[in-house]
Amino acid sequence: MAEELERQLLVVIFDVNPVWWGIKSLQGQAQITKYLDCLRVFVNSYLLLHFDNHLAIIASHSTKSVFLYPPMKETGVIEPEETAPTDKVGNDRRYGHFARVDNTVTDKFKELMREGCEESDIRRDSVIAGSMATALCCIHRMQNELPGKLNSRILVIKAADDAASQYMSFMNIIFAAQKERVVIDACILGHNSGLLQQACDMTNGLYLQIPNQDVFLQYLLTAFLTEAELRKHSIVLSQSTRPREVDYRAACFCHRSLVDIGFVCSVCLSIFCQFSPICSTCETAFKPPPMAAKTRKKRKTPA
Amino acid sequence: MEHLQTLKLKCLSLQDYLKGLPPVILDSLYDHPATCMGVFRELPELARYHTMRILYVEQPISKAAAAAWVKIAAKPDHEIAVKSMLDLRVWIETSLQGSDSTAYTVNSVFRRNLQKALVGENDPVLSTSHLGSDKHAKNTESLSNYADERWEAVLLHMVGSDNKSTISQDLKELMLQAGLMKQEHGTGKVITAKGFQFLLLDNATQVWYFVREYLDWIRGRGMNLVQILRFIFELSFSTLGTDLPTDERDEHVLTCLQHFREMGIIMQRKRKSRRFYPTHLAVDLVNKANKPVSTVVNKHGFIVAETNFRVCAYTESDLHYSILSLFCEMEYRFPNMCVLRLTRESVQRAVVNGITADQILHYIKANAHAEMLKDDPILAPTVADQIRLWAMERDRLTYRDGVLYNQFLAQKDFEVLRNYAQWGCFGSVVRYMVVTMEGHDQVKRYWKKIKKES
Repeated sequence: MAEELERQLLVVIFDVNPVWWGIKSLQGQAQITKYLDCLRVFVNSYLLLHFDNHLAIIASHSTKSVFLYPPMKETGVIEPEETAPTDKVGNDRRYGHFARVDNTVTDKFKELMREGCEESDIRRDSVIAGSMATALCCIHRMQNELPGKLNSRILVIKAADDAASQYMSFMNIIFAAQKERVVIDACILGHNSGLLQQACDMTNGLYLQIPNQDVFLQYLLTAFLTEAELRKHSIVLSQSTRPREVDYRAACFCHRSLVDIGFVCSVCLSIFCQFSPICSTCETAFKPPPMAAKTRKKRKTPA
Repeated sequence: MEHLQTLKLKCLSLQDYLKGLPPVILDSLYDHPATCMGVFRELPELARYHTMRILYVEQPISKAAAAAWVKIAAKPDHEIAVKSMLDLRVWIETSLQGSDSTAYTVNSVFRRNLQKALVGENDPVLSTSHLGSDKHAKNTESLSNYADERWEAVLLHMVGSDNKSTISQDLKELMLQAGLMKQEHGTGKVITAKGFQFLLLDNATQVWYFVREYLDWIRGRGMNLVQILRFIFELSFSTLGTDLPTDERDEHVLTCLQHFREMGIIMQRKRKSRRFYPTHLAVDLVNKANKPVSTVVNKHGFIVAETNFRVCAYTESDLHYSILSLFCEMEYRFPNMCVLRLTRESVQRAVVNGITADQILHYIKANAHAEMLKDDPILAPTVADQIRLWAMERDRLTYRDGVLYNQFLAQKDFEVLRNYAQWGCFGSVVRYMVVTMEGHDQVKRYWKKIKKES
């Protein structure tokens, strides 16, 4: 087995949108702390699988992304007390390692909650795209720092609804992930997310909307613990977990709404739901469409 | 040749060792989170995922349901996984209620303790906070030096070049028991063929082999195996550079602690000290136990083997000299290096001691100097082939059992029997022949028949 040289890296993105969790908690349906506990057991199980498994956890708030683990300083440097014991000779990140992960995650989460929400933070959507970009950066850095092959995976635990405004960055992230061979998995607690469906489909990840939220941990352990490579070759997960129809509709750049048919700028490929004489992205001027042509098809007007 | 092969050193992996233990011991072993984690990591990859999947599922899983978890192509892997889990009693076979079909469930003791490990309820036992901070705290580097030094002392004792003799009676006894050394009249203890092979292994494998023999040994002495195995697992999950307390430990474990201290697996400043530090040998013990030997390449290589069969060793360690002189002739020795020569005689001497050509080659490659590592292959093919050829020269004979027929009364008798038994060996002049074991009965019958007829 080539297990010796390959390492696994899992980046978990946990959606901590205050509005969604607030509403859930008021309705008495779900407590974020309970889910965080499940998540902690899950990451411990992941670390238990192999002594060389690497982990990062990012909390995705409505306006910011925060590293819950490993602890980062403001400047983005991993705090020294973390790097010191990860000594090459001993590779001693076990046993005590669990406790360290648990404590760090809990502390950072408390810190995040204590900061509270400002007016601008009260939004129904989270910066999932931003967190994913952070995750990709983190993966890239680990790849540079660690010798040998690194199999990376991003697991997005998403609660809040999609924001169409993130469409562009989302697409860029998906392509970047594809290029880096990073698998994106999604575990959806709330409504279905078209964007994540696309992301999972394009990176061969697993998309799963959790029907029964009481057994969140069991879903995590059954579906999301397995590595992508193993899923491909040996482990079978229920067929219904893969989306049959992936919504590949694009969002227009002017109103951020999903469109079936729209206008595409011939220069920069921006998408619009209505005709506009000047492209808002690259400022190319277009001639207005001839009135005779009533057919509102995709229109490509050269500048 | 057979009698040589039986001497070959067998190094069982931890999993194999545990499989050989009686179920009662295994069950009581799982009564601690650290052992559960250790055993869990020993399982095949699929088995780990399977166990995780049903860790929080109380109901038994039917055999068919478990089989449906894997794709058809991975069926053999699945069967190996399930078998290894059943062997280790991580999974237990039961039957589903109301039907006869086989079902699996996670061993309840194992389940409880692995869950405990995951949610982190195991911290209080391992703390030395009540002792205050250690004035003589050790960093990882000094621990590693200490461990290497101690382990080298053990090996030096084996090659018989330790004058100070810092090895306790217990360890000496253990070496005898393990068959690494043997008592000989007049000369005292000498290293055995098995011991020679042992010396050529890499450090992690050596330690694991030694500890395994140690486990057999303490079992023979009636010590509590479960406690000590648990202690070993606890050590392997400890953090390098963090101290552990000696309080509240079993008497047997404390004895074991002193033995491990001597081997360099743990570091304790004084015998009475209430805290100790696990070294890298301890931390690597369980995790490296089943690592294939070929992947281990020593970072601090010191051997340069030239194409003219000259070997230069840039080392000051007596142990290295002793090991090298197992299969080389010493030519010159300088303060920081020595020059040796690989010869037909020296290699064959090693082969007589039970060392194989592959072991010699592996030792040279594993300890190759950085300059040598630049070449590909590391060792020149001519040298490698020649060592193999020299070793093979000793294998010209194959040993088979046979029956000697001699003292024939007449030349005729001899000839008749010789013509019948075409596959024996003959000495026509002295009239004797050797018949193979398989042919012996047949020839005997024929001989009796002829005797009767004549």
